[in-house]
Amino acid sequence: MQSSIAAGMVYALGEKPIFKPGDAIRILDRSPIGHYRVPLYLRGKAGKVDSVIEPVAVDNEEEGFGRNAGSRRHYYRVAVPMTEIWPDYEGSPRDGLYIEVFETWLEKIAD
Amino acid sequence: MTQTENLVKRLPNDIGGLPADPIQRIEHELEPWEKRCHALADVLDYHKIINTEEKRCGVEALGAEMVGKLGYYERWIVAFANILFRKGILTPTELALKTKEIEARWAEAHPDRHDDT
Amino acid sequence: MSESTHHDHDHDHPHAEISQSERPGFYDVMETAVRELLIGKKLFGADEIRHQIELLDSRTPALGAKVVARAWVDPAFKSRLLANGRAACEELGISFYDDTQLIVLENTEKVHNLIVCTLCSCYPRPVLGLPPDWYKLKPYRARAVSEPRAVLAEFGTHIPDDVEVRVSDSTAMVRFLVLPMRPNGTDGYDEKQLAALVTRDAMIGVIPANAPTGRTAR
Repeated sequence: MQSSIAAGMVYALGEKPIFKPGDAIRILDRSPIGHYRVPLYLRGKAGKVDSVIEPVAVDNEEEGFGRNAGSRRHYYRVAVPMTEIWPDYEGSPRDGLYIEVFETWLEKIAD
Repeated sequence: MTQTENLVKRLPNDIGGLPADPIQRIEHELEPWEKRCHALADVLDYHKIINTEEKRCGVEALGAEMVGKLGYYERWIVAFANILFRKGILTPTELALKTKEIEARWAEAHPDRHDDT
Repeated sequence: MSESTHHDHDHDHPHAEISQSERPGFYDVMETAVRELLIGKKLFGADEIRHQIELLDSRTPALGAKVVARAWVDPAFKSRLLANGRAACEELGISFYDDTQLIVLENTEKVHNLIVCTLCSCYPRPVLGLPPDWYKLKPYRARAVSEPRAVLAEFGTHIPDDVEVRVSDSTAMVRFLVLPMRPNGTDGYDEKQLAALVTRDAMIGVIPANAPTGRTAR
């Protein structure tokens, strides 16, 4: 919701978060080689956005190659139930795994 | 999936969820060189000569055998050398010559000590 | 472990460290070589390394313990701490030299937090100092995310089933600090007494804060 002061103002690409707290999301299932910051154990897992991390920041997977500039996007603190990750999870069904994930690694799950 | 495909898709540091031993509550006081190495990492990051993510990437690039066999700061310093070579800041020959100089300096300062291997 | 050596070599060598009685190992020499070459090329100064060592020596779990103790006695501070961990620490004069953010994770009757970095060794160094070896080694990193309760049990910590065990795996620029529950029997304790009960391992989340002396831990 824009105030009349900012009406017509355009955001930079990536400046506005795509997801918000509570959104059901999936961590994408692609398999990069060479370098990545999303662990294998979480690929393709469904969870929820716990919080949006501010401010926007550079993709750390790009930073690994010395690329410190470029479009900044949001990281999200994402909550994934342990039972979603491990089929034989021994522990409470309430237990959860929280992790920061860059925006380009997430998709919304349709309601 | 073949075994080598797994090797390529899983970075050597990506160990979350793998089977592992009971935790041994090891700690040790950092050796002077390890502390210097940590300080070096921080100073390299401040200057953006090697940023923290580049360091992580460099450690991963050592490959599974070295990641498994080298100690924590040993991985760092080898990774730094490799990154500095790739960036053209140092060459392997420069490092090798400086290494010999440092070894000679120590030997000169400790003439009574035999060459240990 | 130092011994004096004859100093008739060139003092321009940026290696004013105490000389060792042990022959420096392969990696020790490599570190010295890399550092001296880079200083020689004027990429940074020897003083910067020395200063950073002093900085590292000054960051210990005592800092984190003070933050926790303040949060226990000052609800408004605690609120600010949970909203923005780094800003609240900066209020107390703790600087974040590594450009990371801090999220403080409050342990409650409903949630028990622990922190890990499966991919490397991310750790809230500005406020806790350097991590212990076990935090950086495979057993903890591999198992904290798949069997946290078994890991906690290895530290002697048992969390009831109706309490969520929440594991935070660091991967980016946010670091985490666990705010343990204030132990029973500490009414009227001042901040210094409270801080003395807060250990590094409690701020990682593998154990609770210590009970006051003379009583058994819950």
